Amino acid sequence: MKRSFSIFLYAASALLLSGQLAGQSTHAAAQRPTFEQVAKDADQARAENEDEEAIRLYRQALELKPEWQEGLWYLSALLYEKERYPEARDTLRRFMALETNAGPGWALLGMSEFQCREYTRALDHLQRAMLLGMGDRKDMVQTVTTTVAELLIRFERYDDSLNLLFRMLGTGTDKTLILDPVGLAALRMPMLPSEIPADRRELVRMAGEGSFASQTPQFKDTDKTFKEMEEKYPNEPGVHFLYGVYLMDLRPDDAVRELKRELEISPSHVPARLRLAEVHIQNQEFDQALALAQEAVKLEPEYPSAHLILGEAEMAKGDSAEGIKELELARTKQPATPRVHWDLVRAYTAAGRTEDAKHEKEMIEQLSRTNSGNDTVPAEGSGDARPQ
Amino acid sequence: MPARFFLLAILLFSLPALSSSATSIDEIAKKAELAQNANQLNQAIELYRQGVRQQPSWSQGWWALGTLLYDQDRFLEAKLAFRRFVSVAPKPGPGLAFLGLCEYETRDYDQALKHFRAWADRGWSGTMELIDVSTFHFALLLTREGKFVEALYLLAGEAEKSHSGSLLIEGMGLASLRMRAVPEGYPAEQREMVWLAGKSAFYAASNPPAYPQATEYANRLLQHYSDRPNVHYYVGTLWKFQDRNEDAAKEFQKELQISPKHAPAMIESARLALDDNRVEDAATLARNACTIEPQNSEAHRVYGQVLLNEKKYEETARELEIAKRLAPDSAPIRFQLATAYRRLGRSQDAKRESEAFDLLKDKQMVIASPEEKLGKNPRLLK
Repeated sequence: MKRSFSIFLYAASALLLSGQLAGQSTHAAAQRPTFEQVAKDADQARAENEDEEAIRLYRQALELKPEWQEGLWYLSALLYEKERYPEARDTLRRFMALETNAGPGWALLGMSEFQCREYTRALDHLQRAMLLGMGDRKDMVQTVTTTVAELLIRFERYDDSLNLLFRMLGTGTDKTLILDPVGLAALRMPMLPSEIPADRRELVRMAGEGSFASQTPQFKDTDKTFKEMEEKYPNEPGVHFLYGVYLMDLRPDDAVRELKRELEISPSHVPARLRLAEVHIQNQEFDQALALAQEAVKLEPEYPSAHLILGEAEMAKGDSAEGIKELELARTKQPATPRVHWDLVRAYTAAGRTEDAKHEKEMIEQLSRTNSGNDTVPAEGSGDARPQ
Repeated sequence: MPARFFLLAILLFSLPALSSSATSIDEIAKKAELAQNANQLNQAIELYRQGVRQQPSWSQGWWALGTLLYDQDRFLEAKLAFRRFVSVAPKPGPGLAFLGLCEYETRDYDQALKHFRAWADRGWSGTMELIDVSTFHFALLLTREGKFVEALYLLAGEAEKSHSGSLLIEGMGLASLRMRAVPEGYPAEQREMVWLAGKSAFYAASNPPAYPQATEYANRLLQHYSDRPNVHYYVGTLWKFQDRNEDAAKEFQKELQISPKHAPAMIESARLALDDNRVEDAATLARNACTIEPQNSEAHRVYGQVLLNEKKYEETARELEIAKRLAPDSAPIRFQLATAYRRLGRSQDAKRESEAFDLLKDKQMVIASPEEKLGKNPRLLK
């Protein structure tokens, strides 16, 4: 699977235009004429689209001057274009050791690692590229962001992925490009689009379509899509949860029925439990809410939303000590979530801890400033804390 | 699993005093250390390169160079440094693990497995982080080699520590489904199947075992992949762990319908048949397993067990001696053989086997050579 080859060409020029690499070969040339000649020939071969010759010459030049950054970069880009990903990856690693702040470099390295199926490193490096920035070229940012979203799904970080994908939609990304990732995240299927089993392609597509429609005013389309999905795939994990979440504000009773059905099919489904717990809190059925939230924490102790909802249930039941303990745990795991801080403001206030409450309010203001200034990097657990 | 070992690695191998004749190496080492502390890693690398060029036997230099390169994911270069390190260092222990990791990353899998084995034989040394990462990759390579039980033993150890990473799940899935592959190298369309088996195995191996979740994922595995080889075998094993022996027997039977020459399924079926007092069925299954996989020690062991049950002691001893030759470090084989010898009145042989059993019983699944486990005692290795 090859991804957006144009990104590296842009990346190459972006890096050179930024001045980070410019002039190095000239400087080196004054000291090493042989290197200068080989480097010049390599550049010329590349300009004339003699790719194999350019690769050979760049390698030769790099033997003479192993830390020639421009050469490392162009060699990597050419290797990537030729789909020689392991070689591109190894060359880029040498390049990145010299140029640690080059966002496009991390992007190309991450994409090479993605192609080599080294997904942990790919995610790490692509996220680093997003943090450092990749200039203003939309297609490169889009490819990297989509890949990050897909990898987050593969690592079972569905909520983070969905947040990122819907943010992409908000910035004008063509929805057809992210339909499958949205469907996979919505169904909580930890795989890349290329790994979707043939007999579930339609299901994933429907889940994606329905999830998109739910973000628009055309509610009737959503209902129709989800209903159809449910009829066709009544026993597939994730289907009833997805429909239930959608129905939550429209027809709460139907939503509860769907969520319960999900728990019959997937007894360890934590987000379904948490959504049901939320309904119970709203209905002031605190014991039921507490039981569900406790089960959720037991099933997935590392899931931030489980602690959040348990904290809310404890507070609702009047146990502020336990409630604050759980909310603070949720805050540790998901510090970028306003809801956690709002809950803590209320909890601290109720407990008479005015200074702590004040601090939480400051955190909320800080978050709101950060969120308006940065909408690209998916920090772990930066979702809205609602189990999606 | 990119690991950041650098600081730990440096701590582990803080530079000792160098010999007085190596003044320039001393200077280089000092400069390199200063460069490292100032986060000038490329400069430090260059200095260490200079040092090892000047004095190729400078093991600390190779070590520092290797760890610095490893930390930058430059595995090809790090591999060369660690290769030199293990050839000159008096105690190469953790260097073997790093070498194995670099070889894994550069897809030199056979060499990586060889070096992980050497590392394990020398006592699994290193920092906790190095041990975890190396053990994990060792297990992945054991799976690739078809040593699924050993791989699962190591991976289960990681699961017990609640290391619930995506790679661990994938590793456990591959081993549970007896797929000779590494996570980077199996067909994309099998991702879901591997993940479901991995989740199930992970929950089963948790401490305490989370069987409801293990069962939930096993059922999902059956829902979509019941026609694939090894799926019923895995599920049968899971049911057996939960003492659901009847269900387990059915799953092994289904596996044999899909894969008629599945020796491990025959062995497990034979054991269940024996537990159920269906001695003839057990004998047929065990004999067939021995025919299909004559090098499978467990096949001979279970057949030996059947024969012991039938009080055919001469034949039992013969079968278990084959099993012992194939797996001299298997405690149960040595125990059963001792029993057979006792019944035959061969008290000296029985005593020897009992001694071996005593040495092995707590090391049953430890991945080490038989020599290591039996204390290099030639009499017990015979």
